Amino acid sequence: MNRQEFENKNAQEWQKFELQLSTSESGKKSLDGEKLPSRFRKICYDLSLAQYRMFGHRVCDQLNGLAIRGYRQIHRKRGAFGEGALRFALRTFPQAFRREWKLFAVVSMVFWLPFFAMWWSADQEIEWVQALLGADGMASIEGMYGKDADSVEFLRQEHGSNFMMFAHYINNNVGIDFRLFAGGIFFGIGTLFFLIYNGLYFGAVVGYVGYAGEPELLWRFVAGHSSFELLGMLVVGMAGLKMGFALLAPGQLSRGDALTRAGRDGLPLLIGGACMTALAAVVEGFWSAEPFPTNVKYTVGIAFWVLHALYFIFVGRGLRAA
Amino acid sequence: MGSPARRIDTLQTVELAEGMEIHLRTAGPFLRFMAFLLDCLVKLIAFGILNLLVVIFMPLLGGNVTEAFRLLSGFVIWWFYDVLFEVSPWGATIGKRVLGLRVVDEAGGGIRLGPSMIRNFIRLMEVFLPFVPLIIFFNPRFQRLGDLAAGTLVVYSRPRIDPVIPGPPPLEKVPVNITLSREEEAAILSFRYRSGGWSEARRMELANHLAKLTGEVGPKGVSRVMGMAHWLEEQR
Repeated sequence: MNRQEFENKNAQEWQKFELQLSTSESGKKSLDGEKLPSRFRKICYDLSLAQYRMFGHRVCDQLNGLAIRGYRQIHRKRGAFGEGALRFALRTFPQAFRREWKLFAVVSMVFWLPFFAMWWSADQEIEWVQALLGADGMASIEGMYGKDADSVEFLRQEHGSNFMMFAHYINNNVGIDFRLFAGGIFFGIGTLFFLIYNGLYFGAVVGYVGYAGEPELLWRFVAGHSSFELLGMLVVGMAGLKMGFALLAPGQLSRGDALTRAGRDGLPLLIGGACMTALAAVVEGFWSAEPFPTNVKYTVGIAFWVLHALYFIFVGRGLRAA
Repeated sequence: MGSPARRIDTLQTVELAEGMEIHLRTAGPFLRFMAFLLDCLVKLIAFGILNLLVVIFMPLLGGNVTEAFRLLSGFVIWWFYDVLFEVSPWGATIGKRVLGLRVVDEAGGGIRLGPSMIRNFIRLMEVFLPFVPLIIFFNPRFQRLGDLAAGTLVVYSRPRIDPVIPGPPPLEKVPVNITLSREEEAAILSFRYRSGGWSEARRMELANHLAKLTGEVGPKGVSRVMGMAHWLEEQR
């Protein structure tokens, strides 16, 4: 069979396939939808044949284009959103966390060491803390947690201020998470920088409140959302560092391939961590500043920490990897 | 999926699970940079509209609520403008769509939320150190760091169909008396089907490369090559 015969024989079938693709691409339901896979297989076969027998680039290009469009239609990656989210939360995310537990140990050290060092330094010599916070930082901390400050609960009674703070935390904290992740692309340096900086800063805030303010005001505010926010940040940091390590020590792979693999494996950590930080914003916006007794707040805060530990240790254990 | 051949070509060969090979045409740095500039412009306009809306709605909803909407919308535009457009059926941001580009995974399929987030978040870091995006020039598939981490490519959204401009029909069949490889056969055939678009001088220049095979140079060589193409095609 030469090219001309080949084209004459199949042109009609190709045209039908193209027509069906156009319908399917525009989102309409076509009448003969069940024929799409078999027509696609035929196109694959024809393309291979045309390439092998070298029926010229015109036929090959045409079939190549049809095959690409067909592939996109057949392999559309859409599932039910709810099911996907559930599977992610109950299986993929905690499993990915456990797989990368060593990275969790690393990011925890990187964050908590500067945190406690800064806090400890406030008892010894307050100037380090003062230098880091600056005059504006100290003033705003004294405004919120100072000895004679209007409590956060009081400030939040204005109409819509809870919602406003929620939006602020989403914008600010989830944005920090994303930068934390992306910073991993510079051999992990960006991630390390943001983690250490946040550790130092939080440590300085705690230290300064202990020095000049009323620690109970601070603790009752942060207790509720602390687990979501800190763990979320650390989990995203894991994804960022994973990329950094892949670039530093790619092992048997090329650096490009190692990066691709690190991106794929770290993805659940990025999405999961960002979701945790978004939840933190909900708690921080609508619970943390509500006027409840201190004991209730501490209890809720501790309960959230315990729940997080249980979640990461036990959920999805023993289930087949998703 | 087989790993693509490492050669310098704008066509990337990908083997699919169906057992066939397709060719993807990856887009080069210039077009992608233009798409990036267009997207920056679109984002700028979006922020402008957002600020306008804030000014309009401020007296109606009150300061706090309006500020909250401004922050949330700003967050979505800043971090998710590219992502939302890339996971849509377009598979491209507005800038890429205008220039006829599309983001695909390594097999040429549409991309999902996760990889799109990876490649776009990393871009914000890449523009931070302006020499980093230059690695695109050292990658055979024009991938920047974000593309590598996400496993994505930017390709032309429509396959290019080369125009067929056959030269004047050959008068004779000229048998080829040596065994040609498949690529060589293909080259001779496409000489016939593209020569209509070339000047006579260009045809002769190309045909002279085959002087050893045809035994002729100049216009005679051209007609010999055309005759060979005719013979090769009729043989099948």
